[in-house]
Amino acid sequence: MDSLPDAIVQYILSYVDNARDIAVCNCVSKRWKDSLPYIRRLYFPRNSFENNAGRDNPDNVVWRMIASIVQLDELVVYCPFSSAGLASWLSLVSSSLRRLELRMDNLAEQQACLETPSKLDCIGAAKDLESLKLWGVLMTCVPKWDIFPKLRNLEIVGARLEGPALSSAIQACPNLTSLLLLGCEGVRSVSIDLPLLEHCKLDFYGLGNCSLSLTSPKIESLEVQGCSWIRVRETNCLRNLSISNNSGRVYMVDFGKLRALEFLSIRGIQWCWDAVSKMLKWASEVKHLYMKVEFTGDYEALQPFPEVDLVDFFNSHPKLQKFDVHGAMFAALCQKNSLKNIDTAFTIPCLEEVAITVRSPLNAEQKMGTLESLVKYGKSLKTMVIKILQMKSSHSSADDFFDEICRFTYMNRKLVRIE
Amino acid sequence: MSSSSSSSSPSCPKKMITLKSSDGETFEIEEIAALQSKTLESMIDENCASTPVPLPNITGKILAKVVEYCTKHAEVGADAESLRAWDAEFVSVDHPTLFDYILAANFLEIPTLLNLACQSVADMVKGKTPDEIHKIFNIKSTFTPEEEEELRRENQWAFD
Repeated sequence: MDSLPDAIVQYILSYVDNARDIAVCNCVSKRWKDSLPYIRRLYFPRNSFENNAGRDNPDNVVWRMIASIVQLDELVVYCPFSSAGLASWLSLVSSSLRRLELRMDNLAEQQACLETPSKLDCIGAAKDLESLKLWGVLMTCVPKWDIFPKLRNLEIVGARLEGPALSSAIQACPNLTSLLLLGCEGVRSVSIDLPLLEHCKLDFYGLGNCSLSLTSPKIESLEVQGCSWIRVRETNCLRNLSISNNSGRVYMVDFGKLRALEFLSIRGIQWCWDAVSKMLKWASEVKHLYMKVEFTGDYEALQPFPEVDLVDFFNSHPKLQKFDVHGAMFAALCQKNSLKNIDTAFTIPCLEEVAITVRSPLNAEQKMGTLESLVKYGKSLKTMVIKILQMKSSHSSADDFFDEICRFTYMNRKLVRIE
Repeated sequence: MSSSSSSSSPSCPKKMITLKSSDGETFEIEEIAALQSKTLESMIDENCASTPVPLPNITGKILAKVVEYCTKHAEVGADAESLRAWDAEFVSVDHPTLFDYILAANFLEIPTLLNLACQSVADMVKGKTPDEIHKIFNIKSTFTPEEEEELRRENQWAFD
């Protein structure tokens, strides 16, 4: 290693980002110590100061390390720190720091609003940030942020938010291209107006009754969990859309034309039928469809799905290549008119992969009919996977149905398999 | 662009360039693979690569491996998983060889190989003490005892 030029040693050491390793490298040799000011990324794991025994103030240790670096691009701190500490670090690197990731740990602190400046407020000093990722955030007060003009990526994971604080935070990041809010509770209604946003993933905890309004004409990929009311009018670029609700009922969806949509996933316990049928209607160009909703019904009462005609369904989604359908929604597919008036030209032209979950032996004949039709009319079908889950009945009907499926699988064994 | 596994028609043979190591060995490499090296790419662009390209900084032993790396990474249709495994295998070599890869990748400006090899060396540092690092890389501490003591004190938290 001694034969390597200084620049190479510096370059190699720039790949070391764990602060503890860097502190150790400081003690290896003069050449190594002199190379360390040129690293670009610094990462403090959660347990960095666990055995510290009160000797060094962690905020100061972090400060000393940052101060020894010429140009820090990225700072990741998972260990506990104070807002005064954070303010001191950011005053050192505000002009060079591009990426910041912090474990805020504010959720347990009820008093976060009273501490001024708060840790959130301090972040405002890093004006040239391109990426900000925060874990465990209490955002009940509006953060004192100016504008982050270069911020492209904002991720908040595990947070308690209040609507006005969240809106204000998003407004401070007008040029975002990617927004992730995961495991967030406390939001009732959110309105996002971001002209450059391309990727958005929202995961709201709670009663599943959030309202979302999104105005982002460039949006390409949207995932939403926990909303009952969703409006996204500008959807010319939307390719991937995933809507799920584990706790509440999805009752209103309002999307523009989904011309570019390739992937649609609808999941949840209960969706109003109007919402389901609208989504399926708008997603006529879709190539991959994932459907797993347990019940429909416009009010509290959980209702089973109305029958969906198989021929109509596939005719209105002619580009479908991959189809995942589960439980109740699979049960709803039937051939209302088809078997009688089948148009001999009917095919399911592009369908290649099918995954089905079956949970009950009710309407076995209709289900078998659907399976057989998929194989018969799916000219391009390559694989069909059938998952059989917790067949609840101890009736012989469950066994009979299972036997039927096995026979079907055997007869089409090149295509079909059971999991 | 055709992959190395497809048959090439006689009318358009694969363009090759020749590289010459410091110890006089010559190696042929497909032009496509050579483009991974920014140095070679600009030579090809300026038409300086029609005669054997002399590489006085790189021995035959290392150059052979670099050619192998570039050829592998120029293949179409390799899946990411198997390429990662191949890369991991590629850098499972002794330290002098690894450092030679770094020097060669630096000279030839092959960013992917440079990244792979440097990351590999950096990974060896993780979780080690200074003494262990001295042993692994065969380097000496160049500090005076006083300097060493001061540094240990300043960085004590990392040794806890």
